[in-house]
Amino acid sequence: MNTLITILFLVFAVFILAAAIMTVTVKNIVHAALWLISSFFGVGALYLLMEAEFLGVAQVLIYVGAVSILILFAIMLTRDLEGSQNRQLTPRWWIALIVPAALFGVLIVPTVMTHAWQLPPPPAGQPPTISSAQQIGTAFMREYLLPFEVAAILLLVAMIGAIVVAFEEREQRRRVLTLAEQVRLRRQRQQQVATLPEPAVSVIQPSEATSGEM
Amino acid sequence: MTDILRSWIGSALPDWLIVLIAYLIVTTIVLFYAVGNFILMVWAERRVVARMQDRLGPNRVGPAGLLQPIADAVKMFTKEDIVPRNADRWVHLLAPVVSLAPVAMMLAVIPWGRGWEPIDLNVALLYIVAVSAVSGVGLMMAGWGSNNKFALLGAMRAVAQLVSYEIPAVTALLTVVVLAGGMSLLNLPHLQAGVPIMGATILCNDPAGCSPLLYTTVTLFPGSPNEPVQALDLGLGWWVFTPVGLLGFVVFFIAALAEGERTPFDIPEADSEIVAGYMTEYSGMKFATFYIAQYILNFALAALAATAFLGGWQGPGVAALANMDGPWVHVAAALSAFYLLAKIWILFFVMIWLRGAFPRLRVDQLMDFAWKLLLPLALVNIVSASLMVSITQWTDTQWSGLVNLDGFASWQRQLIAVVVTAIINIAATYWILSINQRPKEEEWDEELVVAT
Repeated sequence: MNTLITILFLVFAVFILAAAIMTVTVKNIVHAALWLISSFFGVGALYLLMEAEFLGVAQVLIYVGAVSILILFAIMLTRDLEGSQNRQLTPRWWIALIVPAALFGVLIVPTVMTHAWQLPPPPAGQPPTISSAQQIGTAFMREYLLPFEVAAILLLVAMIGAIVVAFEEREQRRRVLTLAEQVRLRRQRQQQVATLPEPAVSVIQPSEATSGEM
Repeated sequence: MTDILRSWIGSALPDWLIVLIAYLIVTTIVLFYAVGNFILMVWAERRVVARMQDRLGPNRVGPAGLLQPIADAVKMFTKEDIVPRNADRWVHLLAPVVSLAPVAMMLAVIPWGRGWEPIDLNVALLYIVAVSAVSGVGLMMAGWGSNNKFALLGAMRAVAQLVSYEIPAVTALLTVVVLAGGMSLLNLPHLQAGVPIMGATILCNDPAGCSPLLYTTVTLFPGSPNEPVQALDLGLGWWVFTPVGLLGFVVFFIAALAEGERTPFDIPEADSEIVAGYMTEYSGMKFATFYIAQYILNFALAALAATAFLGGWQGPGVAALANMDGPWVHVAAALSAFYLLAKIWILFFVMIWLRGAFPRLRVDQLMDFAWKLLLPLALVNIVSASLMVSITQWTDTQWSGLVNLDGFASWQRQLIAVVVTAIINIAATYWILSINQRPKEEEWDEELVVAT
């Protein structure tokens, strides 16, 4: 069983790294997004391999299911699909390399230094599961209640902000009329024409012409 | 499965290979089961819709046209595979695969019968939601890779619909998580034992006088350390019979229709508007792959709805047969698998029925329906589910809090919970429906005046 897990780990690791490298080097930006998605998927598989089922599934749900679809939407709605063959590498690529490397170092160095490595692995029996849904839930509701609530409020604020922005935009936008409304509008105008005195007809006429464009 | 293989060829092969072979066999069985159902579903849909529209439907190939899907498959295989010249070849090729694979993965965690479950995943419900979200990526790839305006429009519509209807679906499933005290799917049928409305709360007072045909040993709530008890069990304590389960089932089923792109919600492939949506540029086997993905998605969603709300494999007689020894356990398993299949097909028949009965929605109606009707209902339902759990399960000794009902028998608590949640759910449904049905006439007239 251990051999199988080692082989699977190596396969996933190579796949994740290859996909990540393709993400930053490939020319087509949609391809880059798709490589990013496969990299996310590989990370989810790694979590599953570590029997962190909740983390693995949450990774797929949030990164593959939500974030990447948002990325694809943004690319497809904002970019010219034909002319996206330019290279993604900028002249200042080394700055972009240093910043993530430094951030990664900040995370990984204390982890490596302080973690109690269990080598050789503990014997089979009752393995300490630190990642079951129940334990994560308990941790959120007891130990880390404050960060959890702060994150929740942040998300709520973002949601309300999005709604406010959408409503402001909607007020400025002219509503597209449905066919039934157009028919009713025309009927209303005809009634107005019928009730108005004779000279007003010439005033109504140009607006009648514009209504056809809507 | 692993154990059987181990006893057969355990000495000849290393252990990890045996595990791998066992998984392969189980996967093959599940996939064949799904594809066999897919073939029958295509035939049934064509026949039933034809019947509703006063036509005959396919009736030439084989008895009553039963072999028509096979003829269709042969035609699909022999069709020329056309890829548009300006399409993105690899993305175009991979898109059907990416949309079928997650759908097939959904089948892995569903308990197909008593003791017939491929994988015991303790986050199975979350897994299904996560995996079904992945197929959106496949649709996006199809829309973009085809280099066709219709395909892109269809993909945009499909993904927008998928994303927005996921929210009511997940919220409806959350009520199941609250009721079950966990996200595992394997527990759900066990928890829905008993009699309608009351569930497994009518206990046996005299252990000697209770027939094992009617009473089974159940652990009332796996979330709490309750002792196993003897309860009246007809296999009908489905959650759909309680107010919470009924509302959850209705919301989930409608959302599942939208996720499976069934007819009132088939905007992404509206053939009168955008040819065939994201499938426009596909032919031959690639088109067939999309087709299979869609039907198996419907099959899996129906199985999920049946397991979560309609008791899964639970039904009259299963528990009684399983209580007997020897080969009867296998009979019970077969009977339970039949019950689940029957429920899936009834749900699928309702899907066909809706297709025959309703016209297609508009996009704004689609969004209004999800956000203004389904989501509030599902949210109210979560409150009801929490109340139900607190009334039926909380005691003074453990998780004391909201209500103090110590000393009540379990069936009394269940009755109180059902009445309270029924009042809440009916009132909320009536209120939300009346808000949504209020005519918007005045508002429209104002805007019409502005528009002129």
